[in-house]
Amino acid sequence: MSNPFKVLYYVNQFFGQVGGEEKAGIEPFYKEEKIGPAAGFEALLEGEGTVIGTLVCGDNYFNEHNKEAFAFIMDTIKAAKPDLVVTGPAFNAGRYGMACGEIAAKVTEELGIPTLTGMYAENPGLDTCVSKVIVVSTPDSAAGMRTALPTMAKIARKLAKGEELGAPEEEGYIPQGRRLTVFSDKRGSKRAVEMLLARLNNQAFETELPMPQFDRVDPALAIKDLSKATIALVTSGGIVPFGNPDRIQSASAQKWGKYDISAAAALKGGYFTIHGGYDPVYANETPDRVAPLDVMKTLEKEGVIGKVYDYFYTTTGTGTSVGNALTFGKEIGAELKAAGVDGVILTST
Amino acid sequence: MSYRIVTNNPSVRENFQDSKLIFIDGSYEDVLIKVRDLVHSGVELIDSPLGASIRMLLSPYRSILVGTERQAMNMDQILLIEQSILNYRTLTQRRKSEPQHANDYAVVDKELLKASIQAYEDMNCQTHSKFTGGEFLETRA
Amino acid sequence: MKLELRKIQIKDVVFGEKMEVNGGVLSINKDQLVAKLMEDHRVKEIKVDLAKPGEKTRIIPVKDCIEPRVKIEGEGKGFPGVTGKMVPLGDGKVNVLDGAAVVTIGDIVGFQEGVVDMWGEGAKWTPFSKTFNIVVDIIPVEGLEPHVHEETVRLAGLKAAEVIGEAGRYAEPTKVEVFEMGNHAEESAKYPHLPKVLYVEMLISQGLLHDGYIYGVNSQKILPTLIHPNEELDGAVISGNCVAACDKITTYQHQNNSAILDLYAEHGKTINFLGVILTPELTTLEGKFRTCDYTAKLCTMMGADGVIVSEEGYGNPDSDLLMICKRLEKNGIKTVLITDECSGWDGMSQPLADTTKEAVAVVSAGNVSHVVTLEPADKVIGSAKAISTLAGGWDGSLSEDGSIKCELNAVIGATSEIGYHNCTVKLY
Repeated sequence: MSNPFKVLYYVNQFFGQVGGEEKAGIEPFYKEEKIGPAAGFEALLEGEGTVIGTLVCGDNYFNEHNKEAFAFIMDTIKAAKPDLVVTGPAFNAGRYGMACGEIAAKVTEELGIPTLTGMYAENPGLDTCVSKVIVVSTPDSAAGMRTALPTMAKIARKLAKGEELGAPEEEGYIPQGRRLTVFSDKRGSKRAVEMLLARLNNQAFETELPMPQFDRVDPALAIKDLSKATIALVTSGGIVPFGNPDRIQSASAQKWGKYDISAAAALKGGYFTIHGGYDPVYANETPDRVAPLDVMKTLEKEGVIGKVYDYFYTTTGTGTSVGNALTFGKEIGAELKAAGVDGVILTST
Repeated sequence: MSYRIVTNNPSVRENFQDSKLIFIDGSYEDVLIKVRDLVHSGVELIDSPLGASIRMLLSPYRSILVGTERQAMNMDQILLIEQSILNYRTLTQRRKSEPQHANDYAVVDKELLKASIQAYEDMNCQTHSKFTGGEFLETRA
Repeated sequence: MKLELRKIQIKDVVFGEKMEVNGGVLSINKDQLVAKLMEDHRVKEIKVDLAKPGEKTRIIPVKDCIEPRVKIEGEGKGFPGVTGKMVPLGDGKVNVLDGAAVVTIGDIVGFQEGVVDMWGEGAKWTPFSKTFNIVVDIIPVEGLEPHVHEETVRLAGLKAAEVIGEAGRYAEPTKVEVFEMGNHAEESAKYPHLPKVLYVEMLISQGLLHDGYIYGVNSQKILPTLIHPNEELDGAVISGNCVAACDKITTYQHQNNSAILDLYAEHGKTINFLGVILTPELTTLEGKFRTCDYTAKLCTMMGADGVIVSEEGYGNPDSDLLMICKRLEKNGIKTVLITDECSGWDGMSQPLADTTKEAVAVVSAGNVSHVVTLEPADKVIGSAKAISTLAGGWDGSLSEDGSIKCELNAVIGATSEIGYHNCTVKLY
């Protein structure tokens, strides 16, 4: 290859050397320089490619002003005309992962430019891009940069040259979910017999068709008398009091909030949405559309339900890791149980 | 021990009594959707909604046996019909219809229906099994 | 029971004066064969053609494939219960024309597929590109009712295999395979410490073109039943399945059931192979519960430690497969399932129509929607019209140079769920 291929690199405010969490709201900017991991990345390309510039954007800004951020990012990339766009690696950082994934996916879909990123297998941002973009598998913290970057560079060189990638285990990327029919050296029944023998002898084996795992929870017993029951309202729709006093994130939530709604007849007039995953117009007009406190209060007045629990619980579902969601559920559940709540209306979007 | 046939197959309409038919003037998917609505309202799902071969999944015609009265909703059957609709859509996206084979599909669908009715009548049971929820037929949530 | 399969290696097939095998060359008297098949007054015309491995020949649409054989010692002529008087099978000596296959073609309905390419890309995906095929086109008289039409074609194919098998009566085998097993008590006494293994073979049993037969009994009518592996290897199970080319178990594949063969090879060494349970795949939900409960109960009653379960077809049978698996696992019996999957053209869709977490050990026979490109053939045996069905699935499937993009589900035996072929699926 005569000319080195051109790479445009994207990082967040931290890897872009602007600052930490306090700078997560910065607007995107582009410099024709190699900032942060971009420099090390270029070195690993061994002259086959160069980084022509680095895009930097704050993680909060990206999630909260998604449209504006993308406008800038896409325009920049269109003007720079790179051969390859690399984002991250985001390790296990949820908001950064969402940004890396969404940008990589959109660039490859709309501009047809190959893209590459890197994430920890449980990063919530994985789902935004894994089927369209190659995501290198990284450890869960930034300490893994020294192993992640070389793998990304190796794959980048193949992508830029249009070479086919080998199997995920060989190359170091997360399987995209594509099931490819290939020939085996043994016929199916022989493989079945060997697999059965392994099971019978308690040896390791690998299934060729993994079943999806569902987290089944047994439902609680039905409420016997609704007219005497206390029902709580909980939502993952990101409905918070004006000003978002507890700074709940718009995506990849790290916390939940609890607010006193005993005196309110509805959420309207005191609450709005910070959820980064849907068009906020109608929820801001009437947040009860997402968490129907108004209807619950009406039912309470009419005697259909005994009482609306004094506190309203809220968090943001989009991009929130399964791990966090489980923790929130347990914590909120524990409080509700201790308070003697009989049932919960849980809304999502 | 009675059944009804939800079908969009004109050949079936000609050959079975009206009282047994719920005729759908529409597609295979419309038949599945009607079955779904009935199952939600407590009507028993007698037949598996989908066929047993890829070819028959591509048939424009489908006939499915359902029960006659309404009883308590059966969660497993609801999950099964809902999942069948999703599977059907995934399998048939981007496919062209084959109007030149419509008659043949109508014939095979009718024959399979007859076999199914025979199997049902052979069963001789008056009551329905009690499904204890989540026993089998796990489906994707 | 003791069954001796005496394999006569077939190296070529030709039309000739006699019906015989000489030096590995199978000679067939075409007129004699046709005359025999025309004895059925429902048959109007018979055409016979030959297709050899490597020729740029395409055979379409395939109904069934049957291995020509002749029993030289012991009871059973042809297919007892179907083409001959009912006798128990599984004992005796059988001369097998190894490497030859009778392939029946002709559509019972216009939309049938089932293609065998004898060369090129298509050949890789079917085991019948490696056999010397005697292709029999059966044209029935007009006005036959569909069931009768199907039966006519089915019987003609089986008879053809019987007639051609006769050619091997006096030939010397190149190798002899012996299948011998005492009863359960005897075998368990011999191998007290070997794990007991059963093979559950699911058969599509839903009606016209979706049938299976055991000694001529339609599998829709049976409860799951125990059968000796020798019986299936000796021709007790035949196919009435004429759709789903990729995963139907052809009669040939029943006669050479790879799951049975591979388990038999381990008998007395690593396992105590208890035998086969034939399980019908029924349409009604009640029928499925009955069948799956019964199958699991049979396995439990027999004290199985492990069971291999194979499927036939795709769609509602996936539920039966998983229901059986779930019941067995709950009873402490370890299972391995063999199934094909339908993950879409891009391989990204959910592979099975149903799921269960107990199915921890599954062999995948391939994605039925995998697209292969078949080059234009020099010769097509069968119906050129059927090619347009093959190619007509979606836009762009038939290209200008005559090559066809078709899904694997149209290729005979491509994703055999008894594990006959060697496709598998890898995650990318």
